[in-house]
Amino acid sequence: MQVHNTEVVIVGGGAAGCYAGLSLHRGGAQTIIVCKGLVGKSGASIFAGNLVLGGRLLGNTEENARNTAEFLIKYHNQFLIDQSWARRCGQWIENVYYPELEEAGLYFRRDNEGNVVTSPGKIRSIAANVQGNSGVPFMDLRRKQLMRARILCLEETAATALLRRQDGSVGGVFGLNYITGEYIVVLARAVILATGYSDRLHARSTGTREMSGDGIAMAWRVGATLANLEMQWWHTNDIAYPPTWQRMQVYPNPMLGSEKSARMINSEGQEFFNQQQDDPLAYGPYTVQLKALAKEVQAGRARYDGGYFAGFDHCDATEVDAYTTYGKGFRQLGLRFPQDLVETAVTAHYRQGGIDVDTETMCSSVLGLYVAGGLGGHSNGLIGLATYDGKVVAEGVLGALARLAPCELPEQQVESERLRLEALLSRGGGGITPAKVKEKVRSVMWEKVGVEKDAATLRSALADIEDIRLDLLPCMGVKRTTRDVNYEWLDAIDAVNMIDACELIIHSSLERKESRGPFMRRDFPNTDNAHWLAANLMKKTENGFRFEQRPYELPFFQPGFVEKNNLEVAW
Amino acid sequence: MNIVPAPLGSGDARRLGQIERHDSLEARNSRLAVGDTLTVRVRRFEREGGADILEFRVPYQRAMRVLDALNWIAENEARDLAYRWFCGSKMCGTCAVRMNGREVLACWEAVEPDMTIEPLRNLPVIRDLVVDRSPFERIVASLEPWIERTAPYAGFPEPLLHKEMENASKALDCIGCMACYSACPVIGLGNLTDFAGPAPLVQLAQTALDPRNDPTKVGRALAQTGIFNCVSCYKCEEVCPAGIPIVSRVIEPLKARAAVLVPGMAKHPQILRRIVAARGRVDPGALVLGVQGFTALRNLPRIWRMLVRGKINPVRTLLGLRTAAASAARRLLS
Repeated sequence: MQVHNTEVVIVGGGAAGCYAGLSLHRGGAQTIIVCKGLVGKSGASIFAGNLVLGGRLLGNTEENARNTAEFLIKYHNQFLIDQSWARRCGQWIENVYYPELEEAGLYFRRDNEGNVVTSPGKIRSIAANVQGNSGVPFMDLRRKQLMRARILCLEETAATALLRRQDGSVGGVFGLNYITGEYIVVLARAVILATGYSDRLHARSTGTREMSGDGIAMAWRVGATLANLEMQWWHTNDIAYPPTWQRMQVYPNPMLGSEKSARMINSEGQEFFNQQQDDPLAYGPYTVQLKALAKEVQAGRARYDGGYFAGFDHCDATEVDAYTTYGKGFRQLGLRFPQDLVETAVTAHYRQGGIDVDTETMCSSVLGLYVAGGLGGHSNGLIGLATYDGKVVAEGVLGALARLAPCELPEQQVESERLRLEALLSRGGGGITPAKVKEKVRSVMWEKVGVEKDAATLRSALADIEDIRLDLLPCMGVKRTTRDVNYEWLDAIDAVNMIDACELIIHSSLERKESRGPFMRRDFPNTDNAHWLAANLMKKTENGFRFEQRPYELPFFQPGFVEKNNLEVAW
Repeated sequence: MNIVPAPLGSGDARRLGQIERHDSLEARNSRLAVGDTLTVRVRRFEREGGADILEFRVPYQRAMRVLDALNWIAENEARDLAYRWFCGSKMCGTCAVRMNGREVLACWEAVEPDMTIEPLRNLPVIRDLVVDRSPFERIVASLEPWIERTAPYAGFPEPLLHKEMENASKALDCIGCMACYSACPVIGLGNLTDFAGPAPLVQLAQTALDPRNDPTKVGRALAQTGIFNCVSCYKCEEVCPAGIPIVSRVIEPLKARAAVLVPGMAKHPQILRRIVAARGRVDPGALVLGVQGFTALRNLPRIWRMLVRGKINPVRTLLGLRTAAASAARRLLS
């Protein structure tokens, strides 16, 4: 077992974790990153398609600036956001984020006159190198910045438990390097969880393979309060086949350098969504699109798992290819581009909610445990917002470092975690496979906790998850009991976390008795601002949990109605 | 039978073999239908147990990719099969394998009715299809792939034209999958050369071909790459799933930078160029003398062999005779 001592340990190597690491390094704190995949290569940050321009950047008008803020608060978070935080974040993105990235070398796509190419419209965006692929050079740059700063990254290492001091505060991480099979312990003054928001908990999910709700499960086990876990976002037009391409999106956002964007067609050949006409803010169509699809599904002209189509058949190939990668999936499937449309399906995407944090410091309700990026319950993610979290959490931790004691090796906790993992490994391959357990969990979530749900499906999902926990988990075993590169062992570890995370999500979904944006309940179809313009907080108690509400303040934008059918609300 | 070949479209010359075999993306996607069964052989390897090829029968799924076939095998037949992947959609670059002898990204490539799947070459195999990425990472790190500015940053957006970034921009499409590194025959020679390999060079080109970078730093990095060992065989370009023109837009422009920034590296091509410009033809004797100097004369048996085979002509070399093509060559090379 490797034991590392450091000042701060970060779990996660995406946009938030990397920027937290770089900021802490600049602030003089010794930092180690534990990454379940490969820093800057796994995790959802690589999927960033384009980068939203906030404030008055690049010739944005006052109206553009206001639209971006409105988009973030209304369309991106359905008002479940601290608007003052959103304002601070927007100002930082305008003044610090883009200059920092460009100074470090990120290439924002120019034309031959040297102008940064933007998408037109009420909200504008730009791309790192090429639209649809911005996250790749962006995260590659972060990987190399960490390399340059010589920050230790423990890769392909799954954090499996948070370690606590005697007073209950968090001061370390236990993990498994699943390539070598070696256990690791990192002891620190503070732990930052930055494990992202696109967990693969549904049959179709946009996250990367390793994302299995670990952050939620580990934080809950040490008693962290959760917020708005039920607020699940969806991609509405990802290519339906092949199975592995769950995240191959036919981007609905405006294209760089063009007035056009993808359109969506139902099973009867009628267009039912075209961002130019149907999305009032011309940038954030995901929820608007989802609502349009829900109406088609209800009318029998589409299914959530397919039976509708998307594409660029109204565009020139040269127009699409000029600055985007949008044609690649079509061509790779042997389709004619742009003439052919492709069958699309819904995919579980961001989770707006997560661990409840103080947005001034990103500290959770547990001392020593901090959160950054999509895992936080404070906002829906975007790569810029996740990066801002990295900055804020670094400041929060640096400010508290003197008050946080180093952590002694908690031998009992380490031993019991080691035994838990060993038990998962040593059970032998006779029973159900971890892959099947994962498949069952995802299937329950897809069927009963999908886009549209109600109390009956949610209760039934809870019962199913409980059956999986009680009947299947005890007989889940792995075939090969050696330790190195044992992905089945990792799957078994993941399955336990997925079950815990799903249960929490379902309870939260039952608690929010309204529909809001992408959260659609058949039994409560209205958006209810009188009762639910509030954070849905899930708090751990001695004998389980209880829910509390915390209303949001509305200093800059207000919904302007009390109650209305969610499908009739623009956002 | 049509014996007159159809005219090639622009950029098709390198796909000539594919075109002749009627191998297109459309064809690759229409070889199988739901209900068909694939035969998949996977090379399994364990440090303790050695290597083995196992065969599986896998039902075809709609639009199936190689990764879907591996997932099916792991979920149904060989639960302990080790293969690496994260995103499943050509972004993370971790699932590259060799399928029927060519490097492919498993999540991106259509399955074939009969497939043999092996790990990438030129990297140590850890288990089954999982290779050790660290040799590649170490080379990339040693090239310090970041920019150092000679002038202070001008603020967002700084002056920059796409034209200046054209080649770097191609390199920025790299997902670090190492398909090219596996396909490279020079890397396959092992330690016989000091060639860094195509994938690290693409990583380097992202900043080395960026006009904002300090040329001294770029020269320092290029000096470690052994780039003139590249034989321009285009294998790397052929397999790149990101479609990066690795030879023409990465390696050739890097060689040109190296020739200017680290002239010693480019001795051979520069002397060749000088000879061709002066004489209108290649003169092997002059080339050997130019590159090796008079030490070349120590190897008398070799000189004799070359003389006998007519490879060198000392009279012509010493007199520096020019051919009629000299002026044209000078014009073309200037």
